[in-house]
Amino acid sequence: MDIQTLILALSESTHAGRNFDVMPIAGKEPVLQVTVSGADETPVYVTVTDTQILCLVYLFDEQELNPERLHELHENMLRISVPMPLSSLGKTGGHYVVYGALSPTSGEAEIMQELVTLAENAIDLLQTFEDYLA
Amino acid sequence: MRSVLNKILTAMRGGVNELGEAVVDGQGNRILEQELRDSGQELSQAKHELAALMAEAASLGRQIRSEQDSAAKREQNARKAIEAGQEDLAREVAERIVGHERRAAELTQTRTLLQQRITSLKDRVQRAEKQLADYRRELQVVKTNERVLRTTAQIDTNINSQKSSLGTAKETLERIRERQAREEDRQTAGATLEKELTGANLDEKLKAAGIDGEQDAVNNVLARLKDKPAP
Repeated sequence: MDIQTLILALSESTHAGRNFDVMPIAGKEPVLQVTVSGADETPVYVTVTDTQILCLVYLFDEQELNPERLHELHENMLRISVPMPLSSLGKTGGHYVVYGALSPTSGEAEIMQELVTLAENAIDLLQTFEDYLA
Repeated sequence: MRSVLNKILTAMRGGVNELGEAVVDGQGNRILEQELRDSGQELSQAKHELAALMAEAASLGRQIRSEQDSAAKREQNARKAIEAGQEDLAREVAERIVGHERRAAELTQTRTLLQQRITSLKDRVQRAEKQLADYRRELQVVKTNERVLRTTAQIDTNINSQKSSLGTAKETLERIRERQAREEDRQTAGATLEKELTGANLDEKLKAAGIDGEQDAVNNVLARLKDKPAP
């Protein structure tokens, strides 16, 4: 699965009643911003490498968090990461992210499932962790 | 692997990656790739050697069997010669037997040495294979890390250049709440519309006003029956 195939596949398909709005992000790396209908607020960023298809959603930045409750938040994020379907929590730079990695041999259906799940999980997580924002 | 993971973590704590800079520098990456190539070469060379040694051991095995077969055959000849009283001939055959047995013993010794080399070489192949898998895993971590950093840096640049597409978590939450409220309103409106279309809403209003169509109809029938008793 390469990025061009993915753009075509996503723009023309619906999955579980969702449409996908795909926009390539300008730059050297092949990155897509995919907006899942019904979860428009949490766009999913997709990048394809030799070893995986990485999908991630930004949750919040470290400056946005209440520093006194950081430890508690981290503890909760670690705990909730395990049972959450198809997604894991992580941090890259100052961004807290929810992400999922797929095998590059994954089919369109699996990728679309991942995108829908990830966007919905991101909304649930934001609302769950809202109290930890400063 | 541990050293690579530690390097990545140390660099991240230091905030090196804010700009998407490579954590394990290009030089380190090249060294890792070179190590990967070297290991790969060593592995394929060791496998080649191993195959050659194993073929040689098999060939030695065949030669040993052949010498042993020849010795056994000559023994029969020697017995026959002794039975026929031809002592000199028997002695000549016995000399041949000694020759076969010596060669078989020599070949067996060579084969034993060869098998020791095969065992140690198999060990080397196994080690090289493990090492290769380790390097591959390390390289994958390093490369994925760099890719993620470059990707997120690219996303950040892009987001900053068009402020509207992603704000703070609070703004996002606000937008989520607005959408959820809109969806709720739509559902309520849908339910109201359905009630109106089926007349359920009107019936409810009539009932609330004390006008119950169903009750009235029953009362009407009862009144009619009372007015006109059965003939």
